[in-house]
Amino acid sequence: MIEVVLNDRLGKKVRVKCNDDDTIGDLKKLVAAQTGTRADKIRIQKWYNVYKDHITLKDYEIHDGMGLELYYS
Amino acid sequence: MANRTDPAAKSIHGTNPQNLVEKILRSKIYQNTYWKEQCFGLTAETLVDKAMELDHLGGTYGGSRKPTPFMCLILKMLQIQPDKEIVVEFIKNDEYKYVRVLGAFYMRLTGSVTDVYRYLEPLYNDYRKLRLKLSEGKFCLTHVDEVIDELLTKDYSCDIALPRVQKRWTLEACGLLEPRRSALEDDFEEEEEKEEEEQAMDSVEDDTHEKASIPFIFLCYNYYRGRSPIRERDRDRRRDRQYRDRDYERDYGRGRERDRDRDRDRDRERDRDKDRDRDRDRERDRHRLRDDRDYGRERERERDREGRERERRDRERGRRRSRSRSRSRDRRDRDHEDGDHRKRRTRGSVSPRRRPEDDGSTRDEPKKKKEKKEKKSDGTDHPDPEIAEANRLRASLGLKPLK
Repeated sequence: MIEVVLNDRLGKKVRVKCNDDDTIGDLKKLVAAQTGTRADKIRIQKWYNVYKDHITLKDYEIHDGMGLELYYS
Repeated sequence: MANRTDPAAKSIHGTNPQNLVEKILRSKIYQNTYWKEQCFGLTAETLVDKAMELDHLGGTYGGSRKPTPFMCLILKMLQIQPDKEIVVEFIKNDEYKYVRVLGAFYMRLTGSVTDVYRYLEPLYNDYRKLRLKLSEGKFCLTHVDEVIDELLTKDYSCDIALPRVQKRWTLEACGLLEPRRSALEDDFEEEEEKEEEEQAMDSVEDDTHEKASIPFIFLCYNYYRGRSPIRERDRDRRRDRQYRDRDYERDYGRGRERDRDRDRDRDRERDRDKDRDRDRDRERDRHRLRDDRDYGRERERERDREGRERERRDRERGRRRSRSRSRSRDRRDRDHEDGDHRKRRTRGSVSPRRRPEDDGSTRDEPKKKKEKKEKKSDGTDHPDPEIAEANRLRASLGLKPLK
């Protein structure tokens, strides 16, 4: 179980607990549940790398405590 | 300049009409080539031409969330704000289904609640196929009435948040709308008459303490759902194993049929089931006499008391079962279990007094085991409350629990 921090630099900073074999799509659903936006409107990036929905966190090498950028589409 | 709303346009739902489409999506549409090339300087008449060229519905698609031409035209309509008559013409036109859906969507966004229901409900009768572009970029099949249903029941469609509409019954209560008349109502009336005839026949054959007067709506509801009515479960208890085999086969088959059925075929299936039901009823009554002779060994009073208890339990069980969404295989297993039970009883080996408790305990145990198993796999009973709550959220989203 890892905890990821997502920050949208406009005031929304959420900490989400998830498994490392969850996909980015699952992570978006968890973030949507916490922030209140819709899951399909969320975009998760790390400095111009837009993370794709079907790849797991483990494959993206997202570790515990790592920070990701939260954008909206 | 080209993106400003018509200054003569009214405000919709208290805001600039274009604001019904949210900011990010609106910017995406303004930057879209289709908008820049085709939607420049469109008027209501030229908009119709563009609408006739539409060949698919959809919201945004692709990684960069590109909007479909359908969305661009919706935003254009919001910008120029055509009159209500024009929109109604869009909806009423029969030839071009995409123009119809465009008009319906615009009406849903901008119209008053009564208008929405009044103009969109007739479109439930339109069964034509539509092409829908999914967010992955692929196309999928949908129908006009499905789209209309989505517009009327959900609050989000084609990546646009739809304004809230009240539920239909609220408006009916206020008297603003009449109760819904479905196009299938004539078919239902026929079914109703047939049911009443059969009820009349059955009530003549029935035993006195069996429930002969089950509300018709409930029967209809159960047939619709493909589940067997409570009355059948009561009768199951009296049948021999041989007949139960035939019964669960029919139930199993009916479950399958339910999955395969489309709404239109439901009537046909119901007719067939009813015929079979009627035949089975007659055969069952013949065999009930034989069962009664077997029971003659026990005392009459015991039998009645037991029967009443069993009735109550069976009714509860039937109700519980009809409410649960267990697959037909579960039903078959439970039938088997009861069948063994019954066989033992007819041989007269167990005393009547012990049987109610015996039955209850065997039923509780498998239920408890199932609950325990569910809890373990869910992880919602984790000692740490935070993790338990996280697991609950995950379960509601359909994800596995945290490790």
